[in-house]
Amino acid sequence: MSGCPGSKTIDFSEKTNQEGSETGKRPSQLRQWPIQMHLVSPMAPYFQGKDILLAADCTAFALGDFHKDYLKGKSIAIACPKLDSDQEVYVEKIKALIDDAKINTLSVMIMQVPCCFGLAQIAKDGAEKATRKIPVKQIVVGLEGNILSEEWL
Amino acid sequence: MHKVINQEIKQIISAYPEVGRILEEYNIGCVPCSVGSCLLKDVVGIHNLDPEKEATLMYRIEKAIYPGRNVPKPVVDASKKSAPKKITYSPPVKKLVDEHVLIKRLLALIPSVAEYTETSMKVDKDLILRCVDFIRNYADKYHHMKEEDILFKYVDEKAEVIQIMYKDHDTGRGYVRQAVEGAEKGNKAQIKENLLAYRELLTQHIKKEDEILYPWIDRQLSTTQVGEVFQKCNAADASVGDALPRKYEKFIIELEEKFLQEVTK
Ligand SMILES: [Fe+2]
Ligand SMILES: [Fe+2]
Repeated sequence: MSGCPGSKTIDFSEKTNQEGSETGKRPSQLRQWPIQMHLVSPMAPYFQGKDILLAADCTAFALGDFHKDYLKGKSIAIACPKLDSDQEVYVEKIKALIDDAKINTLSVMIMQVPCCFGLAQIAKDGAEKATRKIPVKQIVVGLEGNILSEEWL
Repeated sequence: MHKVINQEIKQIISAYPEVGRILEEYNIGCVPCSVGSCLLKDVVGIHNLDPEKEATLMYRIEKAIYPGRNVPKPVVDASKKSAPKKITYSPPVKKLVDEHVLIKRLLALIPSVAEYTETSMKVDKDLILRCVDFIRNYADKYHHMKEEDILFKYVDEKAEVIQIMYKDHDTGRGYVRQAVEGAEKGNKAQIKENLLAYRELLTQHIKKEDEILYPWIDRQLSTTQVGEVFQKCNAADASVGDALPRKYEKFIIELEEKFLQEVTK
């Protein structure tokens, strides 16, 4: 194996295991705008005291029930630790979310590819810099939309 | 089997002692339990066995109760999420598990304290009262209060497991009162008996919490609740200040040194 696993081509279009129902409509669980980490302000009212989901860009596309199972009841910020620039700003924003917006918890959702763990590191750095302490959780999503792990850090 | 599953475990065990032995093999300690009004299905559920183990356990119990019946071999439900091998706790629960460590260090010293009390000419009242001070202010006020006032409020407080925890806390307080009375009267036997009883009680109590109760509570807490419990426990800790845990850690270190010297003298 060579090359970056984060951008390696994998085709699982033949996947036949498609349990689940196609019927019924699922409402969006998004309750805010904007959502991109550079665009959001930690002072936005929708972050105050909330449970925050810091999601890597790809996760929402990989997870079939992202809205229902993970976004519901939370406020969100999204980012890509591989491609985004100025990521020091992200660390400061996490710190501000914890200290100023007094968020309740932070869940970092990342893809299983190694570069994505950079986002978990950003979350940890921000949490460490903050004076207030909160529980931080890491959720790792597999390429085929399965949850590989979910643990408190 | 459907009927048995909804029966109190104590009744089942007294009618079919073999069931008690089977449960023990799976580290489910219902036999020595003082209350025993948990239903069989809850007993099995709370231990979060992996599906294969759970099915085999239920099969063996059914066989023990109805030896003549043609019980079907267990069908394993592979879709059921199996229990993680290593216990991981949410941050607030982890803090409580960590506090158990200092309490266990005192429990480890109790036999030495009891022995010392028995063999010394006069009862070292100050020593006993300092141990009692640790139990009352660290183990009970600082630690048990967070369980009783915060954590247990997030689950069904009427559940038997929780009732047993309350009962253990209370029984412990009784032993401590008795030990204090012994110290006041200079009654060595009373001190020894109650300190050792406290040690036995709390050792089992902490084991139950670390291995069964806390993981069971963690499985029921939502992310939002984990955050709430964390903040409430932090606020409770802040209200007493970090001088308190530091003071009691220092006390334990001193006690460990004292008895290590006693032993090597
Ligand atoms: Fe307890
Ligand atoms: Fe405890």
